[in-house]
Amino acid sequence: MHYPEPISKLIDSFMKLPGIGPKTAARLAFFVLSMKEDTVLDFAKALVNAKRNLSYCSVCGHITDQDPCYICEDQRRDRRIICVVQDPKDVIAMEKMKEYSGLYHVLHGAISPMDGIGPEDINIPDLLKRLQDEEVQEIILATNPNIEGEATAMYISRLLKPTGIKITRIAHGLPVGGDLEYADEVTLSKALEGRREV
Amino acid sequence: MYIEHLGLKNYRNYEDLTINFENKVNVILGENAQGKTNVMESIYVLAMAKSHRTSNDKELIRWDEEYATIEGRVKKSHGPLPMQLIISKKGKKAKCNHLEQQKLSQYVGNMNVVMFAPEDLTLVKGSPQVRRRFIDMEIGQVSPIYLHEIGQYQKILQQRNHYLKMLQIKKQSDETMLDILTEQFIDKAVRIVSKRYEFLHLLQKWAIPIHSGISRGLETLKIEYKPSVDVSEEQDLSKMVEVFTHKFDKIKTREIERGTTLFGPHRDDMLFFVNGRDVQTFGSQGQQRTTALSVKLAEIELIHSEIGEYPILLLDDVLSELDDYRQSHLLNTIQGKVQTFVTTTNVDGIDHQTLKEASTFTVDSGTIKQIL
Repeated sequence: MHYPEPISKLIDSFMKLPGIGPKTAARLAFFVLSMKEDTVLDFAKALVNAKRNLSYCSVCGHITDQDPCYICEDQRRDRRIICVVQDPKDVIAMEKMKEYSGLYHVLHGAISPMDGIGPEDINIPDLLKRLQDEEVQEIILATNPNIEGEATAMYISRLLKPTGIKITRIAHGLPVGGDLEYADEVTLSKALEGRREV
Repeated sequence: MYIEHLGLKNYRNYEDLTINFENKVNVILGENAQGKTNVMESIYVLAMAKSHRTSNDKELIRWDEEYATIEGRVKKSHGPLPMQLIISKKGKKAKCNHLEQQKLSQYVGNMNVVMFAPEDLTLVKGSPQVRRRFIDMEIGQVSPIYLHEIGQYQKILQQRNHYLKMLQIKKQSDETMLDILTEQFIDKAVRIVSKRYEFLHLLQKWAIPIHSGISRGLETLKIEYKPSVDVSEEQDLSKMVEVFTHKFDKIKTREIERGTTLFGPHRDDMLFFVNGRDVQTFGSQGQQRTTALSVKLAEIELIHSEIGEYPILLLDDVLSELDDYRQSHLLNTIQGKVQTFVTTTNVDGIDHQTLKEASTFTVDSGTIKQIL
């Protein structure tokens, strides 16, 4: 199939996005041709602005258009608690909950020697710096419940032990509102391990 | 449980085959290179989603074809269960009760088989790796949690080895991270060790009377688990963690020098003793064969005690290798309770009631006929 050059370039660009193969890319590209010019311009501007105007917060590492980010700026938040997460997406998930009013710290990854990521390759030094000048009383480790996430959580807790700050790890087990029978064996056994008296 | 229907499409030398089996001994007769073992293998693959002969699934597809299909209906105590496995050059799809299973670990374990083939002699003679694979496969058939733990263990081991390598070449210097990885490593290692102890203990319990029966009461079998870190069966998990931690503290500098993990379940082994002597080193061919056979028969009983049903037994080309006494002992053990498949080139030498009652099939270059 031979496309005129502008459109084949557009298809190529769409294919750089995750989850988009050649067919979807072609459909999207042809749809763009049928859009109004203004809409296309707005779209292009939105793309460029997202990249140009967003950066990482110098305090917590969350994506933001102002520095420090709106969470770090918010004076109503509880500055005594910091929740440590792997990704900016995790902050958004936590914020959806609307129950947590402390601050965040985004690591941008987890320690994984296999992929060449050591402790100094993720945002841990900044976390240590924050603890020196802020009045932090609790660190919640909310890294993913897999091997790399666990290792990262254990590493941070080991580093922070001498500071005497309270360190907690989020629980893992059954999803709320789910059925016991649909849980997989591993989750069930974890849930059983973490059972507690009522 | 037993398999009552087997259908093969484009599998090895079978273009299109359907056969029905009964819950008794099924003898598959045929000259060499006609496809006897292929039938056995297909039943094994249907249960375990991989072959015992090859790790390359493409070999299972008939020459010049795109995909192979194996389907079977397994009769279990609570009713029939249709199983289907489609093997294409890109991968495989497993269906259990017409539902596609996303994870193979959820598919394996629905149908249990025990296979005894000439290759199984390496269980006694071969390298420790063969024995570790045997332990892992067999525990995996009855415990999906164990399969998961083994997977996690392998991953942590890789992470730890990578980190040790980095410390070795001085690309990293932070030993706290090594301590963390060691802690994670030990946590999984002790669970695996204690599960292996438990399994081999049970296996030995079933294997002793079987071995004594096969050897006319002359031989006493002992199975010993040799964990690479010296912990004993009586210790609980926290005590094992202590022993492991102490060991890894001591060898830390040596591990960094070598850049790899020196001890752990990936270095475990098991030993077989007959009348107190190590079979691997001092046993005769016959003793090694009897030991392997006892262990396989013990597995049948073990699976029965764990899941409440007998597995399907596949005996590939082994009947002819046993002497008359061992043959009839084997056939007596399985008589009337285990659905068994036997391949052989002729049955003339075997005079046993079980074989007289068996269904017999003949294989001739990719076609199978039942002899009535």
